[in-house]
Amino acid sequence: MNNIVEMQHICKKFGEVTVLKDFNLNLREGEKVVIIGPSGSGKSTVLRCINCLEPIQGGKIIFEGQELTQKTDLSALRRKIGMVFQHFNLFPHKTVLENIIEAPVIVKKTLKAEAKKLAMVLLERVGLADKCDSYPKELSGGQKQRVAIARALAMNPQIMLFDEPTSALDPELVGEVLSVMKRLAEDGMTMILVTHEMAFAKEVADRVLFMDQGVIVEEGTPKDIFENPRHKRTQVFLQRILH
Amino acid sequence: MNLDYSVVLSKLPIFLDGCLVTLEISFFALLLGMIFGIGGALCRISSNRFLSGIAFLYVWIIRGTPIMVQLFILYFGLPQLGIKMSSMTAGILGLAINTGAYVTEIIRSGIQAIEKGQTEAALSLGMKPYQAMVRIVGPQAVKVCMPPLVNQFIMTLKNSSIASLVTITELLRTGEQLIYTTFRSFEVYTVVAVLYLIMNSVFMIVAGKLEKRMERQ
Repeated sequence: MNNIVEMQHICKKFGEVTVLKDFNLNLREGEKVVIIGPSGSGKSTVLRCINCLEPIQGGKIIFEGQELTQKTDLSALRRKIGMVFQHFNLFPHKTVLENIIEAPVIVKKTLKAEAKKLAMVLLERVGLADKCDSYPKELSGGQKQRVAIARALAMNPQIMLFDEPTSALDPELVGEVLSVMKRLAEDGMTMILVTHEMAFAKEVADRVLFMDQGVIVEEGTPKDIFENPRHKRTQVFLQRILH
Repeated sequence: MNLDYSVVLSKLPIFLDGCLVTLEISFFALLLGMIFGIGGALCRISSNRFLSGIAFLYVWIIRGTPIMVQLFILYFGLPQLGIKMSSMTAGILGLAINTGAYVTEIIRSGIQAIEKGQTEAALSLGMKPYQAMVRIVGPQAVKVCMPPLVNQFIMTLKNSSIASLVTITELLRTGEQLIYTTFRSFEVYTVVAVLYLIMNSVFMIVAGKLEKRMERQ
Protein backbone atom coordinates (compact mmCIF):
# COMPACT_ATOMS: atom_id res chain seq x y z
CA MET A 1 0.00 0.00 0.00
CA ASN A 2 1.04 3.58 -0.64
CA ASN A 3 2.34 5.98 1.91
CA ILE A 4 -0.25 8.66 2.49
CA VAL A 5 2.02 10.81 4.65
CA GLU A 6 5.80 10.90 4.68
CA MET A 7 7.65 13.13 7.09
CA GLN A 8 11.37 13.28 6.36
CA HIS A 9 14.01 14.83 8.60
CA ILE A 10 11.55 17.29 10.09
CA CYS A 11 13.02 20.02 12.23
CA LYS A 12 10.61 22.22 14.16
CA LYS A 13 11.56 25.02 16.50
CA PHE A 14 9.58 27.38 18.67
CA GLY A 15 11.97 30.29 18.88
CA GLU A 16 15.19 28.81 20.25
CA VAL A 17 13.58 25.61 21.48
CA THR A 18 13.80 22.61 19.18
CA VAL A 19 10.59 20.60 19.40
CA LEU A 20 11.20 18.05 16.66
CA LYS A 21 14.70 16.88 15.76
CA ASP A 22 15.26 15.03 12.49
CA PHE A 23 11.83 13.48 12.82
CA ASN A 24 10.77 10.76 10.37
CA LEU A 25 7.39 9.11 9.97
CA ASN A 26 5.76 7.19 7.15
CA LEU A 27 2.10 6.38 7.28
CA ARG A 28 0.47 3.89 4.95
CA GLU A 29 -3.12 4.11 3.81
CA GLY A 30 -5.43 2.55 6.39
CA GLU A 31 -2.73 2.42 9.03
CA LYS A 32 -3.44 3.40 12.62
CA VAL A 33 -0.49 4.91 14.41
CA VAL A 34 -0.58 5.88 18.06
CA ILE A 35 1.96 8.32 19.44
CA ILE A 36 2.66 8.22 23.16
CA GLY A 37 5.15 10.06 25.30
CA PRO A 38 5.54 12.56 28.10
CA SER A 39 4.07 16.03 27.68
CA GLY A 40 6.31 18.39 25.82
CA SER A 41 7.79 15.55 23.79
CA GLY A 42 6.48 17.00 20.52
CA LYS A 43 3.59 14.57 19.89
CA SER A 44 0.97 17.21 19.16
CA THR A 45 3.44 19.17 17.10
CA VAL A 46 3.82 16.20 14.75
CA LEU A 47 0.08 16.32 14.00
CA ARG A 48 0.05 20.09 13.64
CA CYS A 49 2.93 19.99 11.17
CA ILE A 50 1.12 17.50 8.93
CA ASN A 51 -1.74 19.91 8.19
CA CYS A 52 0.56 22.93 8.24
CA LEU A 53 -0.89 24.56 11.34
CA GLU A 54 2.79 24.83 12.30
CA PRO A 55 5.45 25.81 9.80
CA ILE A 56 8.56 23.62 9.81
CA GLN A 57 12.14 24.85 9.79
CA GLY A 58 13.66 21.87 8.03
CA GLY A 59 12.89 18.61 6.26
CA LYS A 60 9.96 17.82 4.05
CA ILE A 61 6.43 16.53 4.29
CA ILE A 62 4.94 14.55 1.44
CA PHE A 63 1.19 14.08 1.34
CA GLU A 64 -0.25 11.63 -1.20
CA GLY A 65 3.00 11.78 -3.16
CA GLN A 66 3.10 15.58 -3.31
CA GLU A 67 5.73 17.48 -1.39
CA LEU A 68 4.27 20.37 0.58
CA THR A 69 5.81 23.68 -0.41
CA GLN A 70 5.09 27.38 -0.11
CA LYS A 71 2.81 27.01 -3.10
CA THR A 72 0.72 24.16 -1.71
CA ASP A 73 -2.98 25.02 -1.59
CA LEU A 74 -3.43 24.71 2.17
CA SER A 75 -7.20 24.73 1.94
CA ALA A 76 -7.20 21.81 -0.50
CA LEU A 77 -4.67 19.93 1.64
CA ARG A 78 -6.52 20.44 4.91
CA ARG A 79 -9.81 19.30 3.43
CA LYS A 80 -8.27 15.85 3.15
CA ILE A 81 -6.95 15.88 6.70
CA GLY A 82 -9.49 15.75 9.51
CA MET A 83 -8.31 17.04 12.85
CA VAL A 84 -9.78 16.54 16.30
CA PHE A 85 -8.51 18.75 19.09
CA GLN A 86 -8.06 18.17 22.81
CA HIS A 87 -10.38 21.07 23.60
CA PHE A 88 -12.93 20.25 20.85
CA ASN A 89 -12.86 23.79 19.41
CA LEU A 90 -16.50 23.61 18.36
CA PHE A 91 -17.89 26.90 17.10
CA PRO A 92 -19.92 28.17 20.08
CA HIS A 93 -22.11 30.51 18.04
CA LYS A 94 -23.39 27.71 15.83
CA THR A 95 -25.65 24.77 16.57
CA VAL A 96 -24.37 21.22 16.35
CA LEU A 97 -25.79 20.87 12.85
CA GLU A 98 -24.38 24.24 11.76
CA ASN A 99 -20.98 23.25 13.12
CA ILE A 100 -20.97 20.18 10.92
CA ILE A 101 -22.30 21.71 7.70
CA GLU A 102 -20.16 24.86 7.95
CA ALA A 103 -17.09 23.55 6.14
CA PRO A 104 -18.89 21.44 3.51
CA VAL A 105 -21.06 24.43 2.58
CA ILE A 106 -18.41 27.15 2.79
CA VAL A 107 -15.34 25.27 1.61
CA LYS A 108 -16.68 22.50 -0.62
CA LYS A 109 -19.72 24.50 -1.80
CA THR A 110 -21.98 21.55 -1.09
CA LEU A 111 -25.67 22.41 -1.25
CA LYS A 112 -27.05 23.13 2.18
CA ALA A 113 -29.76 20.47 1.99
CA GLU A 114 -27.24 17.87 0.94
CA ALA A 115 -24.78 18.89 3.66
CA LYS A 116 -27.55 18.65 6.25
CA LYS A 117 -28.43 15.15 5.11
CA LEU A 118 -24.82 14.03 5.41
CA ALA A 119 -24.52 15.77 8.78
CA MET A 120 -27.52 13.88 10.11
CA VAL A 121 -26.02 10.57 8.94
CA LEU A 122 -22.79 11.43 10.75
CA LEU A 123 -24.63 12.53 13.88
CA GLU A 124 -26.51 9.25 13.80
CA ARG A 125 -23.16 7.47 13.64
CA VAL A 126 -21.83 9.25 16.72
CA GLY A 127 -25.16 8.78 18.46
CA LEU A 128 -26.16 12.44 18.70
CA ALA A 129 -28.85 12.93 16.07
CA ASP A 130 -31.22 14.26 18.75
CA LYS A 131 -28.75 17.04 19.61
CA CYS A 132 -28.62 18.58 16.14
CA ASP A 133 -30.27 21.85 17.22
CA SER A 134 -28.37 22.21 20.49
CA TYR A 135 -25.55 24.67 21.00
CA PRO A 136 -22.15 23.32 22.06
CA LYS A 137 -22.46 24.83 25.55
CA GLU A 138 -25.46 22.58 26.15
CA LEU A 139 -23.43 19.42 25.56
CA SER A 140 -21.18 17.35 27.83
CA GLY A 141 -17.50 17.09 27.00
CA GLY A 142 -17.93 13.64 25.50
CA GLN A 143 -20.79 14.83 23.33
CA LYS A 144 -18.77 17.84 22.21
CA GLN A 145 -15.90 15.65 21.14
CA ARG A 146 -18.23 13.31 19.22
CA VAL A 147 -19.66 16.33 17.40
CA ALA A 148 -16.11 17.49 16.66
CA ILE A 149 -15.35 14.08 15.15
CA ALA A 150 -18.51 14.27 13.03
CA ARG A 151 -17.53 17.78 11.95
CA ALA A 152 -14.13 16.56 10.76
CA LEU A 153 -15.66 13.54 9.01
CA ALA A 154 -18.11 15.77 7.13
CA MET A 155 -15.25 16.85 4.86
CA ASN A 156 -14.71 13.19 3.96
CA PRO A 157 -11.01 13.26 4.88
CA GLN A 158 -8.41 10.73 3.77
CA ILE A 159 -6.82 10.69 7.18
CA MET A 160 -7.79 11.69 10.70
CA LEU A 161 -5.49 13.28 13.25
CA PHE A 162 -6.53 13.01 16.89
CA ASP A 163 -4.72 15.31 19.28
CA GLU A 164 -5.33 13.94 22.79
CA PRO A 165 -9.07 13.72 22.11
CA THR A 166 -9.97 12.37 25.54
CA SER A 167 -7.51 14.26 27.74
CA ALA A 168 -9.94 17.05 28.61
CA LEU A 169 -12.80 14.70 29.43
CA ASP A 170 -14.16 13.50 32.73
CA PRO A 171 -13.17 9.82 33.10
CA GLU A 172 -16.72 8.54 32.71
CA LEU A 173 -17.05 10.28 29.34
CA VAL A 174 -13.91 8.85 27.77
CA GLY A 175 -15.52 5.58 26.73
CA GLU A 176 -18.16 7.08 24.45
CA VAL A 177 -15.52 8.97 22.48
CA LEU A 178 -13.20 6.00 22.22
CA SER A 179 -15.97 3.78 20.95
CA VAL A 180 -16.70 6.25 18.14
CA MET A 181 -13.02 6.25 17.27
CA LYS A 182 -12.88 2.49 17.38
CA ARG A 183 -15.71 2.22 14.87
CA LEU A 184 -13.87 4.66 12.66
CA ALA A 185 -10.72 2.54 12.89
CA GLU A 186 -12.69 -0.59 12.03
CA ASP A 187 -14.10 1.16 8.98
CA GLY A 188 -10.54 1.46 7.70
CA MET A 189 -9.80 5.13 8.35
CA THR A 190 -6.14 6.10 8.34
CA MET A 191 -5.44 7.58 11.74
CA ILE A 192 -2.72 9.15 13.81
CA LEU A 193 -3.64 9.38 17.45
CA VAL A 194 -1.85 11.15 20.24
CA THR A 195 -3.19 9.76 23.49
CA HIS A 196 -2.58 8.57 27.01
CA GLU A 197 -5.24 5.84 26.67
CA MET A 198 -2.90 2.87 26.59
CA ALA A 199 -5.62 0.22 26.58
CA PHE A 200 -7.17 1.83 23.52
CA ALA A 201 -3.76 2.11 21.85
CA LYS A 202 -3.17 -1.60 22.42
CA GLU A 203 -6.52 -2.41 20.89
CA VAL A 204 -6.52 -0.34 17.68
CA ALA A 205 -2.93 0.59 16.87
CA ASP A 206 -0.99 -1.08 14.09
CA ARG A 207 2.08 0.74 15.31
CA VAL A 208 2.98 2.64 18.46
CA LEU A 209 5.61 5.38 18.59
CA PHE A 210 7.14 6.44 21.84
CA MET A 211 8.43 10.00 21.63
CA ASP A 212 10.59 11.93 24.01
CA GLN A 213 12.28 15.30 23.55
CA GLY A 214 11.41 15.63 19.91
CA VAL A 215 12.56 12.25 18.66
CA ILE A 216 11.07 8.80 18.30
CA VAL A 217 12.78 6.77 20.99
CA GLU A 218 11.16 3.50 20.09
CA GLU A 219 8.51 2.20 17.74
CA GLY A 220 6.85 -1.12 17.11
CA THR A 221 3.65 -3.08 17.43
CA PRO A 222 1.60 -2.44 20.57
CA LYS A 223 2.85 -5.79 21.85
CA ASP A 224 6.50 -4.78 21.38
CA ILE A 225 6.10 -1.43 23.04
CA PHE A 226 3.79 -2.29 25.89
CA GLU A 227 5.10 -5.72 26.80
CA ASN A 228 8.75 -5.61 25.86
CA PRO A 229 9.88 -1.99 25.77
CA ARG A 230 13.59 -2.00 24.97
CA HIS A 231 14.53 1.51 25.96
CA LYS A 232 14.91 2.66 29.51
CA ARG A 233 12.94 5.84 28.82
CA THR A 234 10.02 3.88 27.41
CA GLN A 235 10.01 1.58 30.39
CA VAL A 236 10.05 4.46 32.86
CA PHE A 237 7.28 6.27 31.03
CA LEU A 238 5.05 3.21 30.79
CA GLN A 239 5.59 2.33 34.38
CA ARG A 240 4.58 5.82 35.43
CA ILE A 241 1.47 5.88 33.26
CA LEU A 242 0.23 2.34 33.85
CA HIS A 243 0.49 2.42 37.59
CA MET B 1 -33.99 82.25 42.43
CA ASN B 2 -35.23 83.36 39.14
CA LEU B 3 -35.84 80.42 36.87
CA ASP B 4 -38.06 80.69 33.84
CA TYR B 5 -38.17 77.82 31.38
CA SER B 6 -41.08 79.21 29.36
CA VAL B 7 -38.86 81.31 27.09
CA VAL B 8 -36.51 78.44 26.54
CA LEU B 9 -39.20 75.85 25.97
CA SER B 10 -40.91 78.08 23.40
CA LYS B 11 -37.70 77.71 21.37
CA LEU B 12 -37.89 73.92 21.49
CA PRO B 13 -38.11 73.51 17.69
CA ILE B 14 -34.75 75.30 17.42
CA PHE B 15 -33.27 72.91 19.97
CA LEU B 16 -34.62 69.99 18.00
CA ASP B 17 -32.92 71.31 14.87
CA GLY B 18 -29.71 71.31 16.89
CA CYS B 19 -30.37 67.75 17.94
CA LEU B 20 -30.76 66.75 14.31
CA VAL B 21 -27.38 68.25 13.44
CA THR B 22 -25.82 66.47 16.45
CA LEU B 23 -27.35 63.18 15.31
CA GLU B 24 -26.17 63.78 11.78
CA ILE B 25 -22.57 64.44 12.83
CA SER B 26 -22.61 61.50 15.23
CA PHE B 27 -24.13 59.12 12.70
CA PHE B 28 -21.56 59.82 10.01
CA ALA B 29 -18.71 59.95 12.53
CA LEU B 30 -19.73 56.56 13.89
CA LEU B 31 -20.16 55.06 10.45
CA LEU B 32 -16.76 56.30 9.28
CA GLY B 33 -15.24 55.58 12.68
CA MET B 34 -16.38 51.96 12.46
CA ILE B 35 -14.82 51.64 9.01
CA PHE B 36 -11.55 53.18 10.29
CA GLY B 37 -11.74 50.96 13.36
CA ILE B 38 -12.34 47.70 11.53
CA GLY B 39 -9.62 48.57 9.05
CA GLY B 40 -7.33 49.67 11.86
CA ALA B 41 -7.91 46.48 13.85
CA LEU B 42 -7.25 44.23 10.85
CA CYS B 43 -4.03 46.16 10.14
CA ARG B 44 -3.06 46.01 13.80
CA ILE B 45 -3.29 42.20 13.96
CA SER B 46 -1.84 41.73 10.48
CA SER B 47 1.49 39.95 10.23
CA ASN B 48 2.53 42.70 7.81
CA ARG B 49 4.79 44.93 9.89
CA PHE B 50 4.14 48.03 7.84
CA LEU B 51 0.36 47.79 8.22
CA SER B 52 0.46 46.99 11.91
CA GLY B 53 2.98 49.80 12.41
CA ILE B 54 0.70 52.34 10.72
CA ALA B 55 -2.25 51.20 12.83
CA PHE B 56 -0.14 51.39 15.97
CA LEU B 57 0.90 54.97 15.17
CA TYR B 58 -2.70 55.94 14.42
CA VAL B 59 -3.98 54.67 17.75
CA TRP B 60 -1.02 56.05 19.65
CA ILE B 61 -1.31 59.58 18.27
CA ILE B 62 -5.09 59.86 18.48
CA ARG B 63 -5.40 58.41 21.96
CA GLY B 64 -2.52 60.54 23.17
CA THR B 65 -3.82 63.93 22.04
CA PRO B 66 -7.00 65.83 22.96
CA ILE B 67 -9.86 65.57 20.52
CA MET B 68 -10.22 69.35 20.57
CA VAL B 69 -6.64 69.78 19.36
CA GLN B 70 -7.22 67.18 16.64
CA LEU B 71 -10.28 69.03 15.42
CA PHE B 72 -8.50 72.41 15.47
CA ILE B 73 -5.62 71.00 13.42
CA LEU B 74 -8.12 69.72 10.85
CA TYR B 75 -10.21 72.87 10.61
CA PHE B 76 -7.87 75.77 11.52
CA GLY B 77 -4.46 74.22 10.88
CA LEU B 78 -4.74 72.39 7.58
CA PRO B 79 -5.92 75.43 5.54
CA GLN B 80 -2.41 76.82 6.07
CA LEU B 81 -1.16 73.83 4.07
CA GLY B 82 -3.77 74.49 1.43
CA ILE B 83 -6.20 71.81 2.60
CA LYS B 84 -9.55 73.42 3.24
CA MET B 85 -12.78 71.74 4.19
CA SER B 86 -16.17 72.84 5.39
CA SER B 87 -16.78 72.92 9.11
CA MET B 88 -19.20 70.01 8.76
CA THR B 89 -16.63 67.89 6.91
CA ALA B 90 -13.92 68.75 9.43
CA GLY B 91 -16.25 68.02 12.34
CA ILE B 92 -17.36 64.65 11.05
CA LEU B 93 -13.89 63.64 9.90
CA GLY B 94 -12.29 64.71 13.18
CA LEU B 95 -14.79 62.81 15.25
CA ALA B 96 -14.52 59.79 12.94
CA ILE B 97 -10.73 59.68 13.13
CA ASN B 98 -10.93 59.95 16.91
CA THR B 99 -13.65 57.29 17.23
CA GLY B 100 -11.78 55.03 14.79
CA ALA B 101 -8.71 54.88 17.01
CA TYR B 102 -10.71 53.72 20.00
CA VAL B 103 -12.75 51.30 17.89
CA THR B 104 -9.48 49.87 16.54
CA GLU B 105 -8.45 48.95 20.05
CA ILE B 106 -11.88 47.58 20.95
CA ILE B 107 -12.05 45.33 17.91
CA ARG B 108 -8.43 44.25 18.16
CA SER B 109 -8.89 43.12 21.74
CA GLY B 110 -12.23 41.50 20.80
CA ILE B 111 -10.63 39.46 18.05
CA GLN B 112 -7.70 38.50 20.23
CA ALA B 113 -10.06 37.43 23.00
CA ILE B 114 -11.30 34.61 20.78
CA GLU B 115 -9.33 31.43 21.40
CA LYS B 116 -6.72 30.50 18.82
CA GLY B 117 -8.29 27.06 18.67
CA GLN B 118 -11.29 28.54 16.87
CA THR B 119 -9.14 29.74 14.00
CA GLU B 120 -7.21 26.49 13.98
CA ALA B 121 -10.37 24.41 13.84
CA ALA B 122 -11.66 26.52 10.95
CA LEU B 123 -8.37 26.29 9.07
CA SER B 124 -8.10 22.56 9.69
CA LEU B 125 -11.47 22.13 7.99
CA GLY B 126 -10.06 23.80 4.88
CA MET B 127 -11.34 27.32 5.40
CA LYS B 128 -9.19 30.13 4.08
CA PRO B 129 -7.95 32.63 6.69
CA TYR B 130 -10.45 35.28 5.60
CA GLN B 131 -13.29 32.74 5.81
CA ALA B 132 -12.20 31.79 9.31
CA MET B 133 -12.22 35.48 10.23
CA VAL B 134 -15.59 36.30 8.66
CA ARG B 135 -17.47 33.12 9.55
CA ILE B 136 -15.96 31.98 12.84
CA VAL B 137 -13.87 34.56 14.70
CA GLY B 138 -15.72 37.71 13.59
CA PRO B 139 -19.21 36.80 14.84
CA GLN B 140 -17.80 35.75 18.21
CA ALA B 141 -15.69 38.90 18.46
CA VAL B 142 -18.74 41.08 17.75
CA LYS B 143 -20.35 39.74 20.88
CA VAL B 144 -17.28 40.53 22.96
CA CYS B 145 -16.98 44.01 21.42
CA MET B 146 -20.59 45.05 21.89
CA PRO B 147 -20.46 46.57 25.41
CA PRO B 148 -17.29 48.63 24.84
CA LEU B 149 -18.56 49.68 21.40
CA VAL B 150 -21.81 50.97 22.88
CA ASN B 151 -19.70 52.90 25.35
CA GLN B 152 -17.64 54.36 22.55
CA PHE B 153 -20.74 55.32 20.56
CA ILE B 154 -22.06 57.23 23.56
CA MET B 155 -18.71 58.99 23.91
CA THR B 156 -18.81 59.96 20.25
CA LEU B 157 -22.30 61.39 20.54
CA LYS B 158 -21.22 63.47 23.50
CA ASN B 159 -17.92 64.45 21.87
CA SER B 160 -19.89 65.83 18.94
CA SER B 161 -20.52 68.85 21.17
CA ILE B 162 -16.89 69.79 20.52
CA ALA B 163 -17.88 70.38 16.90
CA SER B 164 -19.54 73.57 18.16
CA LEU B 165 -16.02 74.99 18.44
CA VAL B 166 -15.49 74.71 14.69
CA THR B 167 -18.71 76.68 14.10
CA ILE B 168 -21.09 73.78 13.50
CA THR B 169 -24.48 74.71 14.87
CA GLU B 170 -25.23 71.43 16.61
CA LEU B 171 -27.14 71.14 19.87
CA LEU B 172 -24.64 72.85 22.17
CA ARG B 173 -23.98 75.77 19.82
CA THR B 174 -27.70 76.14 19.21
CA GLY B 175 -28.10 76.54 22.94
CA GLU B 176 -25.28 79.05 23.21
CA GLN B 177 -26.82 81.17 20.48
CA LEU B 178 -30.12 81.16 22.37
CA ILE B 179 -28.33 82.39 25.48
CA TYR B 180 -27.19 85.49 23.57
CA THR B 181 -30.81 86.46 22.99
CA THR B 182 -32.50 85.12 26.13
CA PHE B 183 -29.74 85.44 28.78
CA ARG B 184 -31.06 82.24 30.33
CA SER B 185 -27.80 80.24 30.74
CA PHE B 186 -28.99 77.83 33.37
CA GLU B 187 -32.24 76.98 31.66
CA VAL B 188 -30.63 76.60 28.23
CA TYR B 189 -27.74 74.42 29.40
CA THR B 190 -30.00 72.15 31.44
CA VAL B 191 -32.33 71.69 28.48
CA VAL B 192 -29.28 70.91 26.32
CA ALA B 193 -28.11 68.36 28.89
CA VAL B 194 -31.53 66.72 29.05
CA LEU B 195 -31.67 66.48 25.27
CA TYR B 196 -28.24 64.78 25.17
CA LEU B 197 -29.42 62.43 27.89
CA ILE B 198 -32.56 61.55 25.94
CA MET B 199 -30.63 60.86 22.73
CA ASN B 200 -28.12 58.68 24.55
CA SER B 201 -30.86 56.90 26.49
CA VAL B 202 -32.67 55.90 23.33
CA PHE B 203 -29.39 54.57 22.06
CA MET B 204 -28.62 52.71 25.30
CA ILE B 205 -32.05 51.07 25.29
CA VAL B 206 -31.68 49.89 21.70
CA ALA B 207 -28.15 48.62 22.42
CA GLY B 208 -29.32 46.85 25.55
CA LYS B 209 -32.04 45.04 23.60
CA LEU B 210 -29.56 44.07 20.91
CA GLU B 211 -27.14 42.68 23.48
CA LYS B 212 -29.87 40.64 25.11
CA ARG B 213 -30.87 39.19 21.77
CA MET B 214 -27.29 38.18 21.01
CA GLU B 215 -26.93 36.71 24.47
CA ARG B 216 -29.75 34.29 23.76
CA GLN B 217 -27.98 32.82 20.73
